Amino acid sequence: MSEKETQYFIEAYEEKRAALPGAGGWLARRREAAMDAFREAGLPHRRLEDWKYTDLRQTLEKAAFAPAPAHEGAVVLPGRRSASAFASIDRHVLIFVNGRYRADLSQVAHLPKGVELHALADVVHEQWAKDLVERRFDDARQAENIVDLNTALMSDGACLRVRKGVKLDKPLHLLFVAQDAGASHTRNLVLLESEAEATIIETHVGEVASFTDIVTDIAIGEGARLNHVKLQDEASDAVHLATMRARLAADAKLSSFALTLGCGVSRGQSFVLFSGEGAEANIDGAYALRNKQHADQFCVIDHAVPACTSHTLFKGALDGKSEGVFQGKVIVRPHAQKSDGRQMTHALLLSRDAAMNAKPELEIYADDVQCAHGSTVGELSKDSIFYLRSRGIPEDEARRLLVLAFLDEALDLTPHDLARDALKLLVSEWFGEVAL
Amino acid sequence: MAAVKETVETVGEIEKYKYGFFTDIESEKAPIGLTEDTVRFISAKKDEPEWLLKWRLAAFRRWQTMTEPTWAKVTYPPIDFQDAYYYSAPKQTAKLDSLDQVDPKLLETYEKLGIPLTEQKMLAGVAVDAVFDSVSVVTTFKEKLAEAGVIFCPMSEAVRNHPELVKKYLGSVVPTSDNFYATLNSAVFSEGSFVYIPEGVRCPMELSTYFRINEKQTGQFERTLIIADKGSYVSYLEGCTAPQRDENQLHAAVVELIAHDDAEIKYSTVQNWFPGDEEGKGGVYNFVTKRGDCRGANSKISWTQVETGSAITWKYPSCILRGDNSRGEFYSIAISNGRQQVDSGTKMIHLGRNTTSRIISKGISAGRSSNTYRGLVSVHRKAENVRNFTQCDSLLIGDRCSAHTVPYIETKNPTAILEHEATTSKISDDQLFYCMQRGIGEEEAVALIVNGFCRDVLQQLPMEFAVEAQKLVGISLEGSVG
Amino acid sequence: MSMLEIKNLHVTVGGKEILKGIDLDIRAGEVHAIMGPNGSGKSTLSYVLAGRDGYVVTEGSVRFKGKDLLEMSVDERAAAGIFLAFQYPLEIPGVTTMTFLKTALNAQRKARGEEELDAVRFLKLVREKSKPLNVSDEMLKRSLNVGYSGGEKKRAEVLQMSLLEPALAVLDETDSGLDIDALKTVAEGVNALRSPERAMVVITHYQRLLDYIVPDVVHVLSRGRIVKTGGKDLALELEKSGYAEYGADAA
Repeated sequence: MSEKETQYFIEAYEEKRAALPGAGGWLARRREAAMDAFREAGLPHRRLEDWKYTDLRQTLEKAAFAPAPAHEGAVVLPGRRSASAFASIDRHVLIFVNGRYRADLSQVAHLPKGVELHALADVVHEQWAKDLVERRFDDARQAENIVDLNTALMSDGACLRVRKGVKLDKPLHLLFVAQDAGASHTRNLVLLESEAEATIIETHVGEVASFTDIVTDIAIGEGARLNHVKLQDEASDAVHLATMRARLAADAKLSSFALTLGCGVSRGQSFVLFSGEGAEANIDGAYALRNKQHADQFCVIDHAVPACTSHTLFKGALDGKSEGVFQGKVIVRPHAQKSDGRQMTHALLLSRDAAMNAKPELEIYADDVQCAHGSTVGELSKDSIFYLRSRGIPEDEARRLLVLAFLDEALDLTPHDLARDALKLLVSEWFGEVAL
Repeated sequence: MAAVKETVETVGEIEKYKYGFFTDIESEKAPIGLTEDTVRFISAKKDEPEWLLKWRLAAFRRWQTMTEPTWAKVTYPPIDFQDAYYYSAPKQTAKLDSLDQVDPKLLETYEKLGIPLTEQKMLAGVAVDAVFDSVSVVTTFKEKLAEAGVIFCPMSEAVRNHPELVKKYLGSVVPTSDNFYATLNSAVFSEGSFVYIPEGVRCPMELSTYFRINEKQTGQFERTLIIADKGSYVSYLEGCTAPQRDENQLHAAVVELIAHDDAEIKYSTVQNWFPGDEEGKGGVYNFVTKRGDCRGANSKISWTQVETGSAITWKYPSCILRGDNSRGEFYSIAISNGRQQVDSGTKMIHLGRNTTSRIISKGISAGRSSNTYRGLVSVHRKAENVRNFTQCDSLLIGDRCSAHTVPYIETKNPTAILEHEATTSKISDDQLFYCMQRGIGEEEAVALIVNGFCRDVLQQLPMEFAVEAQKLVGISLEGSVG
Repeated sequence: MSMLEIKNLHVTVGGKEILKGIDLDIRAGEVHAIMGPNGSGKSTLSYVLAGRDGYVVTEGSVRFKGKDLLEMSVDERAAAGIFLAFQYPLEIPGVTTMTFLKTALNAQRKARGEEELDAVRFLKLVREKSKPLNVSDEMLKRSLNVGYSGGEKKRAEVLQMSLLEPALAVLDETDSGLDIDALKTVAEGVNALRSPERAMVVITHYQRLLDYIVPDVVHVLSRGRIVKTGGKDLALELEKSGYAEYGADAA
């Protein structure tokens, strides 16, 4: 396959392979295989069911991305509030510019004993890293296959390992700044051993035409707990493709919340696999879009073992000509009795030209389960607006209040108090820029 | 109440598939296989006009370029389309003037099915068109219907007597190029019912077609066309059975409904084709395209289906809501047991303003079966004030079956309000224990609870069918507990 | 002759022994109260009599009207005349109370070789039985126990009992969740069913219910054994002293 849109990636691979982390080892072979698979399949397009509503091939055809250059020297953070949204939180900060870790800009002091934090190149020789990178979920192959592109080209990433029973003292903040136009491929690896705890906050900002391709591979041990907060507010001509793959052992808990405000086209994929009983996953998010923005949330939860709980709630406000997508699937495998899987998606259309597509799926192979999904799409209730106005609240303010209240239900699920407040503030400011 | 009592009585008395008998009757078949000659043979047998033959041939050529769809959650060995008969008709003396001339064996068959065709025994208020393999055997109450101006006859007769109507409407909802099975049907359809309700007429009785596949290795390809002209109303019932056979039989029907301004069509199906045995041997492959076009303003089309039979069901009765203020409804009970596979649902395409739709789907899986709801609700940019409510509930009985829900919700208009809910549940041991403590046997208790689960849909069926449907619910689930 | 004869009954639930040798002899016409602290095995006894899955009899026997009760299935026991008024009546969506009553009654009549009731006779019977219990037609048309208040559920249980006319009625904590007026209505319904042919077992934690349904015999159940048997005064004693002397953790 020699299509234009894949050509940049293939060339980048040929050019850089020798300099990428893990050259000469297992990873080099893995990269080779991944590149072959990517060459064969090409970029996913809308004739593939999992990409029905987001045509990545077409998107990258319109705006082809050469690799983003390495950026040296000073970085000016974008003017957006998002870049400093979490500044008031006491945290460790790792800064990535154009997808590369910048130790000189980061602040990581005195990590507790039992917490190991490295750049990708420093851990690829370790078995745990290999296990995480090589693991496939295979619940939605068409969606997961795009990880091959990342595997072939991943150049850096944050790799966190928290040893048994250890608690990361404060949130780890990963701040990704797209400083120059181009593509970056980042791979984060997170391993929480049993009874460990950590909170990771992830911010993506930029004001250039960037293509962020990021994969986060997570393993959560028995009784361990991971909180994850993500904020994506990149430029309107940027493309964001993020995949999170998380495997949960018995009684593990993952709470993830993603707020999407930026990008022309973004797609967030979450794959959760329960491998031990009693585990719990909350995969939630909110998005507020306008102009021609397009955001796709793709979420697959695999109840492979009994007695696990998964809750998903995505809420979005769509203005301008924006388009929201939610595709979700809860799978309950044979004998995974006592599974509890809930998946909800609600969207508000604020303008004549906004559109929403939802496909919440259930795939159930066990009978003693509680599974449900729900989806609603609509505009703001005229009755509610009228009621508020009758109490003297101007229409614009009434609409703003109602949309915020609508999104609040999701934002409340942010698994970190200060981060939640920061996200709420950002969303309320979002309305300052949009006439409802 | 009475119906439930009957359900309870019937469950346990009736053998697994009581329609599994075969009627030994001489028949005339097209040569095995499918070529242009087969299409010409069928057309010639039916003495069709040239335009219809051309229409069929165009479809056939198109079909040859198509491939079978694979997106449904069903698996089956490849179908050899050349190893089947595409036309089979009971041999009888040319044209029938009255019931007396119908082969008594045929009448007996329908008696056994519980569908009496002799008018004195008939259910009051239901006119029946009976289709045996590929041809219509008899249509009852013709005169009474004619008085009201209602046309209710076999499709072949409509082609002869009302060519202008057939030409105008055939393929106007499901075009010949629509999908693999619909295109196949367009090429080889042999029979079906034709209904035309003139302007302002409320059809004086329920219309009913009873389909039966009798011959072995025979595909059945009916084509049904119902037109409700302005301000008219019709309620149409369809029932299906087939003999118990080891090999699979193909059924690929097409149903087209057209509702003009202020018209209403209510289409009910009780589908009980042979589902195959417990090991999944035999059974009907039911690949059906059903679509209604709410062409006029304020029109309404309502689909109600009770799907208990067939080895494979692939069926999505849909509504194109074109006319302003039109309404589409889909009420479905799909029961799968043994090794049955069901992939069924609906599409509600909202094109007109103020169009509304309602989807209530109840899937019950037992045994080792697989039961999928697949549905689309789509709102086009210019469709203002659309409302949709969708409720998909799955009930699982036992831990070897599966239930899937695959809804697509697409809107491009902010004034639309779309709500979708889906749940899965099982019959709890506590519920069963409670019923049994009151003296109700286990299978009766299951039937009772399942009937309760399906109540919203059963209520939509005309009385005559509701009783049969309730019985079927019980029978289909026999042996599913314990 | 005894109606119900329980001898040395041992029962385990999930591998744990709950009943550790119960002896009980109940004759027609008698009302027995079984009292005891939480966790003493009261509900287990009622479920064993009704035949619920998961309650394993490891030793002993239960004879009902001279027959081996343990050999019978749940619905056979019901048809033979055992009725359990549930502490928590089950909800069955979509099945109206009326349909349920008729299905149950006719299933039992059929099992006993009696003629089934037609719609007209059935309706007359239900109306007659529901009136004193304040069960309205509207309630009968609703799905069984769905959306019923606590009092409505218990009244519906008593209505089922009066309609099915069992030989032995087991009332499991029928007073739980009832205010005093609802309790009186339910008790009146139960008392109306007392007859020389019928026996009752009233299971309760509190004496309160026994003010309204006066028992002939009171048993105290503790840690899986009947530790004391006496007349109705025993209940009053318990009310004063609590279950402490019977080794209970809580009264």
